[in-house]
Amino acid sequence: MKGKSLKRVFAAMMAAALVAGMAGCGGGSNDSGGGSGSDQPSSNSGEFDWKAYEGTTIEIQMVQHTASEAMVNKLEEFEELTGIHVEYSITPESSYFDKVSTALASGSGSPDLFMSGAYQLWDYSSAGYVEDLNTYLDDAGAVSPDYDFDDFVASAVNALKWSGVPGEAVGTGQQLGIPLAFEVYTMAYNTRAFEENGLEVPKTYDELLEVCDALQKWNGENSYAVAVRGARDWGTIHPAYMSMYAAFGAKDFEIEGDKLVSAVNSKEAVEMTEFFVDMINRGGSSSWSKYTWYDCGVDLGTGNAAIVLDADNNPVHQNWEGASEEAGNIAFAPLPVAGEGDPQISNYWTWSIAMNSASQNKGAAWYYIMYFTGKDFAKYATIEGNSLDPARTSVWESEEFQTMMEGQPGYIEAYEATIENTTILFTPQPYFFETTTEWAATLQDIVAGKYNSAQDGLDQLKTKMDKAVEDIDLSQY
Amino acid sequence: MFGSKKNNEEINYNEIPAHIRRRPYYIIAPGLVILIGIMIPFITAIFLSFTNYSFRLPKWSFVGLRNWINMFTSKEFYHALSVTLRYGIFATAAEMLLGTGVALLLKKDTKYSRILKVLFTFPLMVAPAVAVLIWQLMTSNTVGVLEKVLNLIGVYNFPWAASHSTAMFTAIVIDAWVNTSFVILLVLAGIQSLPKSPFEAAAVDGASAWFTFKTLTFPMLKPFMYIALLFRLMAALQEFGIIYALTKGGPGDTLMNISLTGYINGFTYQKLASALPFLLVLWLLINKTAKFLVKRQRHLANQAAGK
Amino acid sequence: MNQHKQKGIMRILEPVGRNLGLTLFAMFALFPLIWMVICAFKSDAQMYNTVFRFTPTLENFRAVLIGSDYFRAFFQNLLVAGGAVIVTVIAGVPCAYALARYNFRKKEDVAFQILSFKFAPEIMVILPIFLIFQKIGIYDTYLGLIWVYQLITMPLLIWVVRGYFEDISVEVEQAAQLDGYTWYEVFFKTLIPLIKPGLVASALLAFIFAWNSFTFPLILSGSKIQTITITALRYIASDTVHYGQVAVASTIAVLPEVIVALFIQKHLVRGLSFGAVKG
Repeated sequence: MKGKSLKRVFAAMMAAALVAGMAGCGGGSNDSGGGSGSDQPSSNSGEFDWKAYEGTTIEIQMVQHTASEAMVNKLEEFEELTGIHVEYSITPESSYFDKVSTALASGSGSPDLFMSGAYQLWDYSSAGYVEDLNTYLDDAGAVSPDYDFDDFVASAVNALKWSGVPGEAVGTGQQLGIPLAFEVYTMAYNTRAFEENGLEVPKTYDELLEVCDALQKWNGENSYAVAVRGARDWGTIHPAYMSMYAAFGAKDFEIEGDKLVSAVNSKEAVEMTEFFVDMINRGGSSSWSKYTWYDCGVDLGTGNAAIVLDADNNPVHQNWEGASEEAGNIAFAPLPVAGEGDPQISNYWTWSIAMNSASQNKGAAWYYIMYFTGKDFAKYATIEGNSLDPARTSVWESEEFQTMMEGQPGYIEAYEATIENTTILFTPQPYFFETTTEWAATLQDIVAGKYNSAQDGLDQLKTKMDKAVEDIDLSQY
Repeated sequence: MFGSKKNNEEINYNEIPAHIRRRPYYIIAPGLVILIGIMIPFITAIFLSFTNYSFRLPKWSFVGLRNWINMFTSKEFYHALSVTLRYGIFATAAEMLLGTGVALLLKKDTKYSRILKVLFTFPLMVAPAVAVLIWQLMTSNTVGVLEKVLNLIGVYNFPWAASHSTAMFTAIVIDAWVNTSFVILLVLAGIQSLPKSPFEAAAVDGASAWFTFKTLTFPMLKPFMYIALLFRLMAALQEFGIIYALTKGGPGDTLMNISLTGYINGFTYQKLASALPFLLVLWLLINKTAKFLVKRQRHLANQAAGK
Repeated sequence: MNQHKQKGIMRILEPVGRNLGLTLFAMFALFPLIWMVICAFKSDAQMYNTVFRFTPTLENFRAVLIGSDYFRAFFQNLLVAGGAVIVTVIAGVPCAYALARYNFRKKEDVAFQILSFKFAPEIMVILPIFLIFQKIGIYDTYLGLIWVYQLITMPLLIWVVRGYFEDISVEVEQAAQLDGYTWYEVFFKTLIPLIKPGLVASALLAFIFAWNSFTFPLILSGSKIQTITITALRYIASDTVHYGQVAVASTIAVLPEVIVALFIQKHLVRGLSFGAVKG
């Protein structure tokens, strides 16, 4: 009898839990998107007022980055100017996007703002989580008078414009975010390594391979010639690999009829991948598959790597005075190309601030974006916070910046040689995380010799990528 | 109190006043509320695995067994299962052997052993993600201190977690570093609660150390070892933090156990509903194994206590 | 004659062998920790090219403790982990008692269910919990995290303490009751002291598991609550990797656990014996 009543209590609780659980599921629909329309920008007054949203509290999720640190330092000033209180969280890069994806997907409106790159915004905007910032940029009353939108580096802003149609290149459409900083891909090298071995800085792929042979173990048993990223995530594909991939003439996706089809096993793609694998085997680190961007930078700074093929703003921090052992020996040059005189092609990445479409405080959030992408803050972040590359032309042209970069020989020249043919080389589509992570895993397997050939590995990768994007139907756009 | 047979008589529940009869419910109530609250996610997870729920889609719908069928017909699943079992068994075995061995060494009460007993608990207190970081730094081919030590004996550029063949070994080393302390604590507890008389008798009879261990120590320690085995095996089968921090499942798919596969598919790729079957299978595996081990342990414990 | 010699040799070899074994393991277990503490005092520039000889600096400490909101994360972690353990003790001890004393059908099943929560894959429960927390508004709150942490703190405590209760014979309680104490007085005055070692040891383990938890706070807390495991990893890199700062953050993060462990070290080992085997 006692057993029975306990059972009954238990059963009742379980039933209640079940009902609550079903209700908690939202019964068939997801409430994402559709935020409040109540704080549209002030279109009645023509006057811009920094204190328009005084008393609001907004939330921003940031990734660990020099720009974030700079933002945190200036939060007090921002609050004084606008009366808006900001709550922030900083997450290390390795876990950042998982956390943001989950938060956005909940549709709760929190966070109001988040940092993101362009690729992730394709994913998020396809699901309806991202606010189109043209709404605010086009409204004269919502933009502060000294904002000077034209001052932005054009490629940085255009990288964040997308129409939402998979397969259509960036540059037109919704403004998904406003840039804080960006990077292009160049080569950083140790001048000492080249001088001591009587070598010239490589300009072509063939020269690069020769240098790999010559400089392997140039500074002791643990040193090697070229450092590139190799970890099992999207970050491995998008810097040097993708830049050279495009330079070989390969594409990640082609449009066939109404579908996106992966072209990752094309002749050019295989050729490039074989070159890349060759480079790693002949001149790369023995722990390549664990390397992320700061591992590459550190190796350059400790004199273990002679060359780094990565973001231009990565090795920079090893070269400030006293920063590392090889500080002062580091210089920059553009990435090698196939033949001398070929165009300098590079991929492009930008960290930007984006707005949650479900935010309940859009007006105040827009003010945050304006302040922290404005000219004054950009200068502060770069000059005093080492945040590179600045998204504002005025900062590039400023005296302080020129002085600051004198300690980085070749940096600005390499940037200027590269920026012309720099654009986002990936085909915009919402399944970016899946396609590039699987790409990185396949690359790891190819380098380790787990496939009979690069062709074999890329064929299998193509199957996976096709499957990932199979439900994209271009006819509905 | 209730439940036990008083003087071999059955207790007539009707004779016990109501407020005492209901006492067990009052007592359990707070704990039960907390625990019931946590049952809900389990049920939700089962429910959602039959849908195509994904944050991307504005509406979800039932897809029946599609996610399950996809999983059982995928190479991915069987590979994940293999990795899960291998990692779970090898890591636990390593920790049990090492932990028991060290606990036995600590049996003799000396000043040294007393200090070490406390010090050996420290690795357990380091968060796994941080432990991975420390080991990554120490084993780095270019800047690691362990690498320098290995260089002394002529081993250069040992790949640790960067190579398909040594990645699992590396992950297990780090897992063992963090968790062997747990086994040591439990086995030590067992050793210290062992009755003295049988051992004294055996010593008087001139039994060898091995004999004493085989017939006395080991059988009496079994209940404790079972608990350690239970907790460690269950944790190792679903290990996520260490592997994710170490290589995110790489190189290639070498360390992609079920937890990682589920996480990456569910959170990184946002394909939640198709990831749930993986995790539910893991849960089932762990549950069944745990049940078996728990039954054995309770049996052994009762045996040892002479019940 | 030979046997005597053998015994003599053994008597010398045995402690040597034992201490050698212990020392080898000690090197394995403790060197990484010593290394971590050393790194806390090394500057970034000297981090990689020096082993033991270097110029110590307090720059990492300054950067972490003063230059960032480390303490905020530290105290939040303390609140959440400490709160979780307190709730576990208050709700769990009675549960353990009931499971030990009262017989009802399916008792072992219920006990096992509770234990199985510890083994539930965190990844599986985290998303439904996230959705539900959002709906009922306890996402990014202390209440939410403390509740979720019960998944990892309660099972072990209930099991250990149940073992202890089972070991206390019913007669002890009955005798106390005959002496005129109420049931509650019996519970607190007589029973609790008897289970103290088990309670204290499992509470420490529960605290350690809660303190070091990574996946739950990652997904279930937003900006109001930042725990220390995630914060420690933040120092890895924004411009370059700052292992020294990570070392500082991690070393200090370990301190509360170490302090508690030192306090209760007397009970620690004995406490986990579950009272399973007796004299």
